[in-house]
Amino acid sequence: MTDPLATAIIVVALVVAAYGLLAAVRDRPMDVLHLAGLAVLEAMLLVQAVLGLVKLAGDEGPDSGATFAGYLLGIVLIPPAGAAWGVLERSRWGPAVIVVAGLAVAVMIVRMGQIWSGADV
Amino acid sequence: MSDRAGTVATGTGPGRLLVAVYGVFALAAGARAGVQIATRFDEAPVAYLLSALAAAVYVLATVALAAGGHASRRIAAAACSVELAGVLAIGTYSLVDPSSFPDETVWSAYGRGYGFVPLVLPVIGLAWLWRTGRAGQRDGARETGEKKTRTSAS
Repeated sequence: MTDPLATAIIVVALVVAAYGLLAAVRDRPMDVLHLAGLAVLEAMLLVQAVLGLVKLAGDEGPDSGATFAGYLLGIVLIPPAGAAWGVLERSRWGPAVIVVAGLAVAVMIVRMGQIWSGADV
Repeated sequence: MSDRAGTVATGTGPGRLLVAVYGVFALAAGARAGVQIATRFDEAPVAYLLSALAAAVYVLATVALAAGGHASRRIAAAACSVELAGVLAIGTYSLVDPSSFPDETVWSAYGRGYGFVPLVLPVIGLAWLWRTGRAGQRDGARETGEKKTRTSAS
């Protein structure tokens, strides 16, 4: 796992979630910046997936490589799903979906760090 | 918001958020079960099959709540009820006999590994179905009544 990238992803995910929360609290619908934030997050996750799979294919990586690969691939589904589902809702609940997506990505990255270092499976 | 069938959509407004959380758990449970079954099914087939069942129920609940039609409401209510029963039963069983659950599942220890969200989620899901059902009760009184009976039976 690439630590600087993982940290950057967590930061971006939390910023996206916070920006979503701001809109939800102010009772505003989703705007273009929410989608842009998710797009940036998705790009980073795709880079991570490629780097991660390359590392797994080489002999680097945790004992539970399958679990890690599951996270690597599963996590890239979240931003597009959140964007697609949230954009349909023209109320505060649209950005609320973005909050869930951002938090889910952040939690999953933390979990991936634990799996990578073998702390706990 | 209320449609001809006499029910309020379950996948819009606050329901949008509920479906999103359900979606995350469908993904988490599904990926976990997939990995368990693909890599070490022999170690604990029963636990891993239950894991897969949990995942299937989450997927069903997510889709049914998102769709929110007449039949979908019943499916969603059934899925939430099975989830609640499952998290209580598996949660208790995993604490009483930890050796039969060598790997955590989403329902182990009442979903402790997932911040107890698996325990809270079906309750919120059923409450949401009940609320949206009541809002459309004028035309759909009978259906709502049936759903409530099933809810309290679990």
